[in-house]
Amino acid sequence: MILVGIVILARMVLTLAAGIAVLPGIVLAGAMIALGAHRISLILRARKAA
Amino acid sequence: MSVSKTKTPEPELRRSVTPWGSFAWGYSDVGADIFIGLGLVLAWGAGASNVAFLFAGVVYVCIGLAYTELAATYPVAGGGQYFVMRGLGDLFGFIAGWAVLLDFTIDVTLFAWSSVDYTSQLVPALVNSAHPWLHFVVVLSLVLGLCFLNVLGVRESTAFNGFVSALDVLSETLILCLGFLFAFRPDLLIHAMHFNWPAPYQLMLATSLAIVSFVGLESISQAAQETQRPASVIPRTSVALILTILIFALAYSNLALGLHPWHPITDASGHAMQFWQIFPHNADNQGKAVALLSEQIPYYGAFAALYVPVLGAVLLLISSNSGVFGSSRIAYAMSSANLLPTLFQRVHPRFRTPVISIVFFSSIAVIELIFAALPALVPSASALYSRFFHGENGLEFLADLYAFGAATSYSFVFLGLIALRLQDPLSPRKFKIPLNIPMRVRGERVDFPLIAVIGFIGIFSILLFTLRTHALGRIFGPTWLVLGVILYLFYRHHRRLPMLGSQRRDWRTEQVGILRRAGELELMDEYLANLKASDARRAGQA
Repeated sequence: MILVGIVILARMVLTLAAGIAVLPGIVLAGAMIALGAHRISLILRARKAA
Repeated sequence: MSVSKTKTPEPELRRSVTPWGSFAWGYSDVGADIFIGLGLVLAWGAGASNVAFLFAGVVYVCIGLAYTELAATYPVAGGGQYFVMRGLGDLFGFIAGWAVLLDFTIDVTLFAWSSVDYTSQLVPALVNSAHPWLHFVVVLSLVLGLCFLNVLGVRESTAFNGFVSALDVLSETLILCLGFLFAFRPDLLIHAMHFNWPAPYQLMLATSLAIVSFVGLESISQAAQETQRPASVIPRTSVALILTILIFALAYSNLALGLHPWHPITDASGHAMQFWQIFPHNADNQGKAVALLSEQIPYYGAFAALYVPVLGAVLLLISSNSGVFGSSRIAYAMSSANLLPTLFQRVHPRFRTPVISIVFFSSIAVIELIFAALPALVPSASALYSRFFHGENGLEFLADLYAFGAATSYSFVFLGLIALRLQDPLSPRKFKIPLNIPMRVRGERVDFPLIAVIGFIGIFSILLFTLRTHALGRIFGPTWLVLGVILYLFYRHHRRLPMLGSQRRDWRTEQVGILRRAGELELMDEYLANLKASDARRAGQA
């Protein structure tokens, strides 16, 4: 999830010249990275608890 | 037999839902929405579909956070209706619950309808425009079948829910990852946004339809009553659920606008089209958008074309079933709180299911189905719809009402959250939505939730968009509410209960009981200590 988020972010950043139109793509990439990080933190917490 | 008249204590729901079960419960409800919402929004939002989803998505995150806080603080199965009743009083609690009931009845029809649409991808005889009567009969059979199964008390197991949810999350993640890696072209997305930006009216319509993709958060609070240690588990699973649903909605809309199709798509005259252009003025395509998109992923699409329609149809059918089950459960909770006649609490002596609630709300779902199918079945009705209702099709009619019910109940939930923060600052909140303004109300420290205000403005705008742009929704939605309020006033008058005011309730004792039953004994102790300190402070001041 994090990887795809980074790929989308990189591709959208390349089209920054299009202005505000890149915003939904950047939000999507950010949400993907956040969800990936959230899942990793949950896994780490579960392992720590075990 | 009326449950309220028995002297024995009410049986409690078994707390057996695990964190994954809690996520799967929510996902099987909300996760299916994108299968319907995507095609509708692409049809009206065109190049701004992703912006419509972004706006609705931001509002949805606020709603999700509000439900998470409320469900973790008050883990009872009543959902939005309970929170609003506790914060704003009986009448508003009834209106919120009645709007949720509208959504649940629509949920039954809309999801059964769309389940048949997805099946039609593999069985062309079920295409609505080609065989409207067959489509109608199959949807009707599904609704009646689900009603029958619920009367018998047969539900899909939590394990089955979890399995389908896991399969769907995996499948959708795979489709989106492969789609963004191999079929997504940012220049196509930018081109669609620049040259196919819709008129303001269409954008409002698309935004109000986009909220359809985020309906079903009631399930968070429904699951709360059956989850072990809900105050700890609900926030964890809810955040994952909110982010997952948001990502899927944003990802599908961006991918659909920037998709370079695997197979060329052309119009009747042979001109090349972008993928999203197959949705406007084509109700058949709107009903199975995810299946059509997955087909266009290079190579993987050949495999996805076979299983995505089946997976979509199953997920939608589970969601349809949750409408039958959820409406009877909400009606039961409302009836227990004296917001609906005790008739809705009656259970079948043999099957132990709320048979009257199930049959009543399934009958409403059937009436809605007839209204939705009428233009396709009867040509003269189609002319009537074209003249008075902008020629809306069946799917749009159902989505109109779905958006109206959701926007109404969510608006009240935000107000309920604000009211509860002000009136009940002593209840421990293990999860609190961020961005609060500290203040003092009646001598107590209170955190005023800014996010709730932002969310309310957002969802209220969507409600206004719905009323402005949905020709059928603005008639049938308010009519449903007015009829409900008349029923409520008549019932309250009959029972000699306050008609516009609220019954007196001991919320303190109830909250202690809720936390004890939830197994949140630390929170219960904290709550009792807060009450003691507050009472001592007041006594000192006096």
